[in-house]
Amino acid sequence: MNKIHQNNIQQIIYKYIPIILLFTSVLNEFDFNNLGLVYFSFNFSYILIFYYSVKKSQSLGYINIFIAGLFNDVVIGTPIGLSSLMYLMICCAAAYLRNITLRPSLIKDSIFFLITILIINSLLFIGLNFIFDYELNYFDQIINITHTFILYFLFSNLFDFFENTFTGRTN
Amino acid sequence: METNRDDFIIAIRSALLKKGTQQRFSLLSLIFFSIIFLILGGLNFKVINYIKIGINEIVYRSSFIISGPENFVKNNYLIVNEHFDLYEENKKNIDEVNYLRGKDLTQKIIILENIKYKKLIDDYFIEDKETVAKVLIDKQSPFLRSIIINKGSKNNVELGMVVLDEEYLVGKIVEVNFYTSRVLLISDINSKIPVSLQPGDIQAIMSGKDKRKGILQYVKDKNLTEINEKIQVLTSGAGGIFKSGIPIGTINADEDISINEDKVVNFHKDFSQLKYVKVVSFSKEKSFLDLSSKNEVQKIKDEIKETNQQQETVKILLEQKKIADEIRVKIQQENNFLREERVRLKNEILAKKKIIQQDKNQEEEVKFLKMNLYYGHKCRKTRFNSRYKVGTAEYRECVLNKGLN
Repeated sequence: MNKIHQNNIQQIIYKYIPIILLFTSVLNEFDFNNLGLVYFSFNFSYILIFYYSVKKSQSLGYINIFIAGLFNDVVIGTPIGLSSLMYLMICCAAAYLRNITLRPSLIKDSIFFLITILIINSLLFIGLNFIFDYELNYFDQIINITHTFILYFLFSNLFDFFENTFTGRTN
Repeated sequence: METNRDDFIIAIRSALLKKGTQQRFSLLSLIFFSIIFLILGGLNFKVINYIKIGINEIVYRSSFIISGPENFVKNNYLIVNEHFDLYEENKKNIDEVNYLRGKDLTQKIIILENIKYKKLIDDYFIEDKETVAKVLIDKQSPFLRSIIINKGSKNNVELGMVVLDEEYLVGKIVEVNFYTSRVLLISDINSKIPVSLQPGDIQAIMSGKDKRKGILQYVKDKNLTEINEKIQVLTSGAGGIFKSGIPIGTINADEDISINEDKVVNFHKDFSQLKYVKVVSFSKEKSFLDLSSKNEVQKIKDEIKETNQQQETVKILLEQKKIADEIRVKIQQENNFLREERVRLKNEILAKKKIIQQDKNQEEEVKFLKMNLYYGHKCRKTRFNSRYKVGTAEYRECVLNKGLN
């Protein structure tokens, strides 16, 4: 009985790990999106949201993603609502992909992810640069997109491993 | 073809409108929420501002807590690193201290002189308000390099106040909440700071580049290449946002200065290591603080006053002299006139006296003649008497005495 109870607690913790990861990545000072390295940065939140929206849409929840976006805006100082919009657009793309996919494949997912982050970052750039008068560096953006795309493979496998090992099989 | 389009529409509709398990809102409604937030936030809508301030307070505090373990690890790593570097650093520091001690006195004199000259041109600023704040979050966003400090409007922090680490420029306040504020670091690409390059007094605009570097914009390459030593970058004070002379960083003469390349400023401070900062505002000094300067000024004032008084006295004396001269000339003229008059009167008196004497003589003669008629016979010498001969003084005296002797 005790073992079953302990297992339940573990399951609950594992269930909330994506949300914890999302909020930690948003609130934590250590940001993969800006590591201080000239040629290396990636957006961990994008990877996390896309992966879980495609594979396990119930894990994060749109409300949590929306709130995480608001928090992210406040922490990094962008206009409030902008990150939420970008995160939700990733969810939107992921939901579309989920609906049209019959046979999931990492390559197809990653290509779709690349297209999505290209669109999202373009919109972000347009919004920040032309509407809110923020000055952005094109080169940094390209570096960020490239590494986010490349690291999607790594994190996708890591998350797969985590899901298979601790919480059971993914969708 | 039609089937494909239908599939697409169905997939989109499903993605946007379908609520998943345990989902209270559809994606579309949340996207609308975000857009509304963005638009109203852009229009400075009051409710959104209040929500933002509320979220700010929650997020900054929770972010500080969440960052705790990471900061703990980071700090420990830094402590260990520092420990290993301690010996070398100590040796270097001793040399530097010896060198700096020598320079200290000269610097003090230069500072005093600088203050004096700044006062002369009415450009001497003193710290008006000063608050020491702790850095809560220094999350480096790709869009905005900023830090959050634990002082807000409650502690009299205001927009635009200057943030310093020791005496080095860190940034300025761009957002003020009740308990917290956001500082835009000078390393941010959006921060444009009017700077002055010394030596040479070259003016430029500096914007952020990365964590420890900034780049110069709008600077003449030609002037820079003429300088062969390390260039100090200071705030110029142009625009009135920062006071002049706050140190920012340096430019290495041999590496970073070449025509048609970005001039890189190496900041004095590493902004990722900030723990406590000083939030200050500056205002022009109303009264002199320096006692010696004050005495000097008082002395000069007294001298000026004395000189003015002397000048007034000299003016009065000159006036008096002028009047005295005029009077003297008048008196001289009068004197001359009187002298002439005196001479004239003297002559007149002499003439009158002469006349009077003549009259007197004539009167005496007349009296003698009259008495001669009566008593002449008594005094005149005849054959029968031995009296006086007519015309002699004895005869005259005898007549006048009525012939008695």
